[in-house]
Amino acid sequence: MEYIKGKRTRLLAGFVMAAMAVFFVRLFYIQIIQHNYYTAQADSEYIKQFTLHAQRGEIYALEGDQPVPLVMNETVYTVWADPTVVTDKQKVVDVINKVAGGNTQPNFAQLLDVKNSRYQVLATKVTRAQAEMIKKENLAGVGFDAVTQRVYPEGQLASQVLGFVNSNGDGQYGFEQYNNSMLKGKDGMLKTVTDIRNVPLTIGNDNIKTPAVNGKNAVLTIDRDIQAKVEQVLAQGAARTHAKQVSAIVVDPNNGHVLAMANMPTYDPNKMSSVTDISVFNNDTISKPYEVGSVAKTLTMGMGINEGVMTPQSTYDNLGYIVVDGIRINNADQTRLLGRITMQDVLDWSLNSGVVTMTEWLGGGSINLKARNTMYEYFHNRYHLGQLTGIQLAGETPGTIIPPTDVQGNSIRYSNMAFGQGMSLTMVQTAAAFSSVINGGTYYKPTILAGFMNNGTYDPLPVKPEDTNVISAQASQQMRAMIHHAHYATWRPNDPAGYYIGGKTGTSQTIDPKTGKYRNTDTIGTYLGFGGNDPNKPAYVIMTTLAGGGNFGGGDAKVMFNQISDWMLGYLKLPPKG
Amino acid sequence: MLIGLIVMYAIGPQRANVMNNAYGTNFYTDTYFAVKQVTSLVLAMGAFVLAAKIPFGWFTKHAGKFLAIGLALCAALFLFGNVLKINAIATNTLGAYRWFNLGALGSFQPAEFLKFGLLLYLAVFLSKRASQGLLNNTEKTITPVVVISLISLLFVVILQNDLGTGITVGSIVATILMVSGIDRKTGVKLLVAVLILGIVAIAAAPHRRDRIITFFSGSGKSSANATSNDYQIHNAMIALGSGGAFGLGVGNSIQASGYLPEAINDSVFAIIGEMFGFVGVSVILVIFAALLMRLLRIADRAPDMTARLVVAGVFGWLAAHVILNVASMIGVVPLTGITLPLLSFGGTSMLFVTGAMGLAFQLSKYTTHSVNVNQGGSAHENIGGRRGIGRTRVAGRRAI
Repeated sequence: MEYIKGKRTRLLAGFVMAAMAVFFVRLFYIQIIQHNYYTAQADSEYIKQFTLHAQRGEIYALEGDQPVPLVMNETVYTVWADPTVVTDKQKVVDVINKVAGGNTQPNFAQLLDVKNSRYQVLATKVTRAQAEMIKKENLAGVGFDAVTQRVYPEGQLASQVLGFVNSNGDGQYGFEQYNNSMLKGKDGMLKTVTDIRNVPLTIGNDNIKTPAVNGKNAVLTIDRDIQAKVEQVLAQGAARTHAKQVSAIVVDPNNGHVLAMANMPTYDPNKMSSVTDISVFNNDTISKPYEVGSVAKTLTMGMGINEGVMTPQSTYDNLGYIVVDGIRINNADQTRLLGRITMQDVLDWSLNSGVVTMTEWLGGGSINLKARNTMYEYFHNRYHLGQLTGIQLAGETPGTIIPPTDVQGNSIRYSNMAFGQGMSLTMVQTAAAFSSVINGGTYYKPTILAGFMNNGTYDPLPVKPEDTNVISAQASQQMRAMIHHAHYATWRPNDPAGYYIGGKTGTSQTIDPKTGKYRNTDTIGTYLGFGGNDPNKPAYVIMTTLAGGGNFGGGDAKVMFNQISDWMLGYLKLPPKG
Repeated sequence: MLIGLIVMYAIGPQRANVMNNAYGTNFYTDTYFAVKQVTSLVLAMGAFVLAAKIPFGWFTKHAGKFLAIGLALCAALFLFGNVLKINAIATNTLGAYRWFNLGALGSFQPAEFLKFGLLLYLAVFLSKRASQGLLNNTEKTITPVVVISLISLLFVVILQNDLGTGITVGSIVATILMVSGIDRKTGVKLLVAVLILGIVAIAAAPHRRDRIITFFSGSGKSSANATSNDYQIHNAMIALGSGGAFGLGVGNSIQASGYLPEAINDSVFAIIGEMFGFVGVSVILVIFAALLMRLLRIADRAPDMTARLVVAGVFGWLAAHVILNVASMIGVVPLTGITLPLLSFGGTSMLFVTGAMGLAFQLSKYTTHSVNVNQGGSAHENIGGRRGIGRTRVAGRRAI
C-alpha cells in the first residue's frame, strides 16, 4: 500500500483556502467597496413613497343654530380581479352577483376572461359590509380598492350651493370648488422601507412621515329647513307658471348670512349620471346678472332720502312719462295717477317718471355729472352693486354698472338705472344691498360660511359689518315704512296680523337678442322684500324671480315671496307684535 | 448552529408572513420556523452524539446496508412519486419528487441518506481494495465505483432533478478517491468523464441552462431583465452589499421580508451577510474553513484507510455545500440549489451532515495514537484511545 500522507489532503486544503480567499475578496468587494452601490440598489428596491390621503372636509348646514350634515364622506370599495390569478371563475361570478348584484359592471363575468389584463373592475361603490362578505369567500385573484366618496344625506337639497367633487377629488361648482383647497386639506407622505408586497416595515432609519392635514369641516349659513321650504316653493312656482328659470334667495339682513338660495331646475348629486344639461350646475342667484327692474327703486329712494332730496311725502307732477335728453321714458301704466303725487305713490305704483324726477333732484334738476356721481357712489361704492360680493361660492359673476365718466354712463343710462334697467346685477348683490337699506344702513358682505366644525363642536365665525353708514338709520326707517306700504298697496295679500312685512315688485324688460333692443315680451318677474315682527328690525330678506318661457311680472314672484315669508314667520317662531 | 438559530428566529416571522400570504392561510406562526429549526437542531445534535458514540466498526460493518437502504429509499421515492404519483407519500416540488412526506413529522430527503451510505460504502470498499493492492485496478475497483456513483447520480440528478445534491455526491466520491491515493492518470480520466457528464446534465435540463445563461450574461447586477434566477442572485448581492461592514443588525433584514427567494434555505448566507455584515460572514467563513481544515487533519491522522476515507468523504460533502452555496450567493458560480450546512433551514440535510460530522469527531479521537491503534484495531482499544485524548478536544470543537 502506498500511502502518500498529507499530499492529497494538502491539495484539498489548498483548494479550500483558495476558495475562501476568493470568497473573502469577493465579499470585501461586494460588502465594503460596493456597499454604497448596493445600498442605493436596496433603497430603490425597498423604499416606496405612499400618499397619506387627507380627509376632505365635510359640509354642514344649520338648523336654527345646530349644524346638520349636508355632505359626508363614505368609504366604498371597488372590487377588481386579476383574471390571470382567478381560479374558480363561476364562484367569483356567483358570490359577487349575490352580495353586490346592484353594483356590478355590465357583463363583468366576461371581464374575467380578459387574460392579458391583470386588473379588471368587477363592481364599484360596494359598501364595507358587502366587501367583507366577498372577502370572507377567499376568492383567489379578487381584490379591493378603498375609495372615498361624497354622500348627500339630504339628496338634492342645496345641490347648486354645494357643488360636487369630481373623480380627481377636486370640487366642481359651488362651495366645493370655491373652497377646494380648504376642504381638501393637505395630503401627507410616507416614505418607508416596505416588504415585497409594499407593506411598510418598521425597519430603517430614513422613514419619512409627513402626516396628512385633513380638510376643514365647514358649516354653511344655509338653514336646512328654510332651504327645503324655498326649494319646495320654487318647484311649485315653476309648475304653476311654467317659467323656465325660477330662483330665490333668503338673507338674514342683520349679518349677511344667506339662509337659502335655490334655483329650479336643479339636480340630485346622488344621480349625477342623469344630468343631461350641465347648466343645472349653475347657481343663478350668483352667476346670472340681470336687469332687476323696479325692485331697484327701493335702492334709488334710499339714496334720495339719505341725500335729503326727497321724503316719502315729496311731490312731483306725473305725466305718465318723462323725457331725459330727448328720450321718452314711459311708465308701465301711462294713465295711472296723473298729476301731483307723492314719492310713496311712486313706490306703491312703481312709476318710472317719479324715480327719474327724484334722480334729477340729485343734480339740482337734471341728471348731470353730480347726480350721476352721487348715484354711482351709492350703487357701486355703498351698495356694492355690479361687482363680486366675495361670497364663498364658485361661479359668481360681477354684473355691470357703468361709471358716470364712461361714454355709456350718460344721463339716459342713469335715468334707467333709477328703476333697475341699464345695469346688470345678481340676486345676491341686490339682496345684500336691499338689506343695507332696510336694516338701519349697514352693509354686510353676503356670506355662505357660518363657521367650522372642530372636533364635533360648532365654532361660528364672527360677524363683521362692511360699512355701517350706507344710509342713515333714520333714512332706513323711512324706507322700511315706504316698502311696507308698497307691499300692501298693489297686491293685497292675507295680512298676517302683528307682523311687519315690506316688499317691492319688479318686472324687467329683457333685450331681444335678435334686435339688441328692449322688448315687451319675455319679461322677468322679481319680488324683493323683508319681514319680521319688529318694524325696526326685519328678520329676513327674500328675493324671488321667474324668467323664461313667458311674460312674468313682479306679481308672479310675489306669490312665491308670500309663501316663503308666511312660512318664515312661523319657522322663526316670531311672536306677533301689536 | 447557534447563528443559524438566531437567524431563523429573527427572520422566521417574516418568512411565516410571506408563506401565509402566498398560501392564504394562517398556518405559519411567527415562531414556526424557529421552532422547527430548534427541533432539527436537537435531532441533529442527537445524530451527532449517536454517530460519535456508536463504534466506528459498526458503521463500516454495515456500510453496504447503508448504501442499499439509501438506494432503496430513492427507488421507493421514485416508485411512489414519479410512477404512482402518490403525493401523500412523496412530496412534489416543482415537478420533482425529492422528499418523503412524513405527515406531522415533516419530510425526509432520502438523497441525504444515500450520500451517507455511499460515503461509508466507498470508504470501506476502497480501503479494502487498497489493502488488496487493487486500488488502481480498472476492473475490480474503478468500474464498480463508477457504476455505484452513476446509479446514485441517476437517482439524484435525473430522477430527483437535483444537481446540487448530485455535485455533492460527486464531491464525496472525488475526495474519497483522491485521498485513497489512486493514480493521477486514473483520476484525470475520471475528472474528464465527470466534466462531460456535468455538461450533459446541465444541457439536458432547461432550468440549469437558464442558470448558466444568467450567470454568463453578466447580470445579477441589474434588475432590468429579472428572470427568477437573476432575481435571486441580484437580491442576494443586494442583501450582502447593503449589509456593509457590520450589517443591519439582527431582525433588520429587509430581503427576508420576501424579496430574496429561499431566504431561510439556500439564501441564508446572504441574509446573514445583510444582518451581520462583512464581519459576520467572515466569521462564518473562518469557522467553516477551520472546520474543513480540521477534517483534513483528522483524515491525515486517521488510524486506518477506512477512517481516513470516511473523513475525506465528510470533508467532500461539507466542502461541496459550503463552497457551492457561498460561491453562488456571491455570484462567482451559477446558482445551485444547495443548502449551507448547519445554517440553512432544513431537517434532513442537517441531520445527516451532523451525523457525518459526529462520525468524523469519533475518528478524531484516534489522532496521535493513530499508528498504534491502527495495528491493534480492536473496539476496546478504540474506546481507550478516545478517552485518553478526547476531553480537551470535545471542548475545543464545541467552541466552534
